[in-house]
Amino acid sequence: MSEPNLNPFAGDTTSSRRQEGVVRWFLRLSTTLIVMVTLAIVGHIFIKGAPITFRTEFPFVNVKFLTELPATLHVIMDKQGRAIETDVNGADAIKKQLGDQFREEKTISYSGGGILGPIVGTALLVVVSVVVALFLGVASAIYLSEYASHGKRVEMIRLAILNLAGVPSVVFGLFGLGAFVLTAPVLTDAPHERSLLVIPLLFTKLSFQGWDTCVLSGGFTLAFVILPVIITASEQCLQAVPQGFRETSMALGATRWQTIWRAVLPFATPGILTSSILGIARAAGETAPIMFTAALAFKDKLPWQKDLPALPSDAGWFAHWEQNVERFLGIFTESVQALPYHIYTLAARIPHNEYSERAQYGSVFVFLLLVASLAATSIWMRRRLRAKYRW
Amino acid sequence: MVNPIGSRILEPFSIESPSVCRGGYSERPLKCSTSTLTQGPLTPTHSTRRVSTERPPLHQLLLKKQKGHFLGLDLQRAIRFFFASNASITIVVLAMIMLFLLREGAGFLSTYKHELEIYRRSGLEYCDLVDRPLSKQQELSSKLRRALTASMDPIIQEARARRDAAFLLKREIEEQTKLPREALESALEKEPPTTPEALKALRQQLTQATQKAANEVSVSLLFSSEEANRLRQEMAKLSPEINALPPMLTELGSVFSARDKEAKKQFAELVEASDTLEETPEPLRELLDELKEEVLATKEAAVEHFTLEEGRQKLLQAAESTHDPEEKADLRKEAEASKTPEPDYVESIKPVIERRDELIQAVAKYAKDIEIAAAGLHLDTGTEAAKKMLAQVRQQLPEHAAEMRASIEQLKAWRQDKTVSIFSVITAFFFGTNWLTNSSWQDFFGFVPLLAGSMVIALIAIVIATPLSVAAAIYTNQFASDREKEFIKPVIEFIQAIPSVVLGFIGISLVGDLIKEMSGWAWLSWLPGFPVQERLNMFNAGCLLALMAVPTMFSLAEDALNNVPQAYVDASDALGATKLQTVFRVIVPAALSGIAAAVLLGLGRVIGETMVVLLVAGNRIAIPDFSAGPGVIFQPAHTLTGIIAQELGEVSRGSAHWQALFMVGIVLFVISLGVNACARAVVRRFELPKA
Repeated sequence: MSEPNLNPFAGDTTSSRRQEGVVRWFLRLSTTLIVMVTLAIVGHIFIKGAPITFRTEFPFVNVKFLTELPATLHVIMDKQGRAIETDVNGADAIKKQLGDQFREEKTISYSGGGILGPIVGTALLVVVSVVVALFLGVASAIYLSEYASHGKRVEMIRLAILNLAGVPSVVFGLFGLGAFVLTAPVLTDAPHERSLLVIPLLFTKLSFQGWDTCVLSGGFTLAFVILPVIITASEQCLQAVPQGFRETSMALGATRWQTIWRAVLPFATPGILTSSILGIARAAGETAPIMFTAALAFKDKLPWQKDLPALPSDAGWFAHWEQNVERFLGIFTESVQALPYHIYTLAARIPHNEYSERAQYGSVFVFLLLVASLAATSIWMRRRLRAKYRW
Repeated sequence: MVNPIGSRILEPFSIESPSVCRGGYSERPLKCSTSTLTQGPLTPTHSTRRVSTERPPLHQLLLKKQKGHFLGLDLQRAIRFFFASNASITIVVLAMIMLFLLREGAGFLSTYKHELEIYRRSGLEYCDLVDRPLSKQQELSSKLRRALTASMDPIIQEARARRDAAFLLKREIEEQTKLPREALESALEKEPPTTPEALKALRQQLTQATQKAANEVSVSLLFSSEEANRLRQEMAKLSPEINALPPMLTELGSVFSARDKEAKKQFAELVEASDTLEETPEPLRELLDELKEEVLATKEAAVEHFTLEEGRQKLLQAAESTHDPEEKADLRKEAEASKTPEPDYVESIKPVIERRDELIQAVAKYAKDIEIAAAGLHLDTGTEAAKKMLAQVRQQLPEHAAEMRASIEQLKAWRQDKTVSIFSVITAFFFGTNWLTNSSWQDFFGFVPLLAGSMVIALIAIVIATPLSVAAAIYTNQFASDREKEFIKPVIEFIQAIPSVVLGFIGISLVGDLIKEMSGWAWLSWLPGFPVQERLNMFNAGCLLALMAVPTMFSLAEDALNNVPQAYVDASDALGATKLQTVFRVIVPAALSGIAAAVLLGLGRVIGETMVVLLVAGNRIAIPDFSAGPGVIFQPAHTLTGIIAQELGEVSRGSAHWQALFMVGIVLFVISLGVNACARAVVRRFELPKA
């Protein structure tokens, strides 16, 4: 608009420019507000949480916090006004040592030790859910993108995906509880009495009695929460592969499956995987679906450290092997602690004080760091891929 | 996040370009290929064998029976079938969600009906007819108390503040010197007595510490500097061996009580009214408590009977299914033993019903007393706040009396043997205003308080998030430079990755305190609802949910703006419109359907969010008090999602409570489907004509 305004009907340029400036600044202000609030929240967590997770001297991280299981924190005050932090085992010794210098003892649940249990639990849940969701999601996307593109059935599937994406996460939790915890089929010799249906097989019975609260139930529930994300992302990546690749492959006489396997998937896979990282971040961050299906507020063992009856001394290698297998399977069949649920417990279930605050900010910081690095990796890799594959 | 605005992203791009490979080609490889081609990297596994140097005639090719068939499918068809069945999983999951919710929740109506039947038969409902309106009396009484305090405030406020500040000072100094103090105290009590030297040393330590603390402590500005000095001096002498309060504290205390007396004298009428209001219901309450005890016993007997009955049915079932005749007989016998007669409701609450007249008289007397009290409450004194509250009480007292009188009619009409219709059960759930669980009296599952909480919070979130995210979308899409975009988009995208429990935690630890502190600022006191009572309230939750809804709304709105055809913009420019005119008169109206859908989907996300509302909304199960005007947003509330997350872990499977929670889940599921359908309808209805 730098040319002189020759239009006699045009309004006052300066006033409309001023108006534009005002509106523009208002819009910019709104945008800035959102950005600033986000940065402020992340910054707050960083400032409060980083000192708990990191150390200024070698090895620069708080090893205890990252490698120990959560425990009850005992704080023992002596008469000089000092506070000694210890765990349940150390408390008595310190009290004895202090003798009549002992003044009072405070216990703060879940705030001692570290957060290894929740980290491991979240990792297991995420792995199970992503494996399931990727399998189902990529297969669905291949159908939608390569086999059928329109028709009544595809319409219905797309509608279902949209609706599934809008279902509240707590409803998924209810579904997981009803479907996986209470109904899913298991092989067992002694069916539970609440079992819905028992089908006798050759050596054993297939009983629809549910998997109980365990990693598998939680993982499957989370898989359905992130399924729409994965399907949509995978389909976009498949669509991004140029049509010419398919046509060339077809022209060379390949079957449709060969075309998909050799000419489409290799180019779509990196994209599918990167976009799925966002799904991982979402699965790691959800709390409501795992509340009733997998998570425990407190557990003093890792999932593979299950208590089993001690074997008699003359037990053969087979019995040992069997026990080891059972312990290993604990990573699927045991309930676990999970980071988001741990944070919920710390924030809502125990009284607030300086000691619990430390555990809270530490867990929140580690959690946010994990999720944010996943999301950031996804965004960054997607950009790189976009630059790399230009057809 | 799925882009749920219609089909733009979800629809394959290739629809427009009629491609060769879509449905138009054979499932099997073409047979005309030369052997060199088929031996390439794309060698089909099952067809190479059939490639011959001489091509068979066409009819043979078509009629030839194929190898590798399974269940009537060849390999390619089987692969296709595999993928198709995987894709249908989403439909199956949706159906299964509904199925499992219904399976666990569908029994609710009959269970709740049964509970309400017991509630009526055993006479609990009868007592509640009086008890429920009566509960309002406490509210009114406390309001009157508050009015009294508010009117007395100007007289006694200063004296009270000074007294409290002085006592606070004392406590602060004691807290600071607690270590030497405790040491001295334990030394004094010790047997055998501590040596005088040691005691002296301890005393000296304490005196030093006390003096230091007294000198360093900051004295409130309510005291003049002289008074402050005197306070410090007296405080420095504090010791566990002196029982008497420092003289200045005593003085301040007596000044306060004198003022208090004076104020009470001035508002004697109000004091009296308040006392009367508190005492009026006593006789009625006593009578009601007697009745309640009896009906509760009846109800407990009934509940016990039905629990035993359930166990008996299970035993009988087990007896049916077992094959061992001996065991069968045993189980039958056991079942027979646990048989109890259903309590005779009519007989057992007969004494209660017989006292109906007495109760009616008591209620009538109470209503009359209340009306008298209301008539006597004519004075108009005190501060603005007190006047307002008095006016409210004066208005509500006759209403309360009328309600009590109405309950007399209900008492007369109440019949124990009236059947509970399924319709009334549905009403009790969907329109019930009471969600009360684990109660020793009666559990109620009324849906309205939760729905109200969810709706108010969602409304707050949408009101905050819509302008912000739409403005941000317009700015980013139309005005921002590329470098700004590079920064804004990832940041907003990143909000989506912040887990909701983290935001909830922020609400507890940061936003709550922030709101509370800000509401205390004097220059903001004109805002409704300020100062805020509760740290955790609906506004707090609404703010955080707004932040959660921003990325959804932002990216969808931006997509909508992006999809406005360039021709519109060009046409607008050609007509001489300024940038602002183009944006607000052409682009935004053209994208309005997309923006509306974005808002709707943001709403869906907000209603379905669980952790933030569970942590931050305050979890008070009550319908928000809308009489507070816009200040209602600073009240705590509970929500549909929050109640499931909070209570499901603690109830036993199959109980009415469990089923009620699943019913809430069904409602949530239906709401989410409805919101999605609305968003799609909006997009379809207002879609731009294809250019």
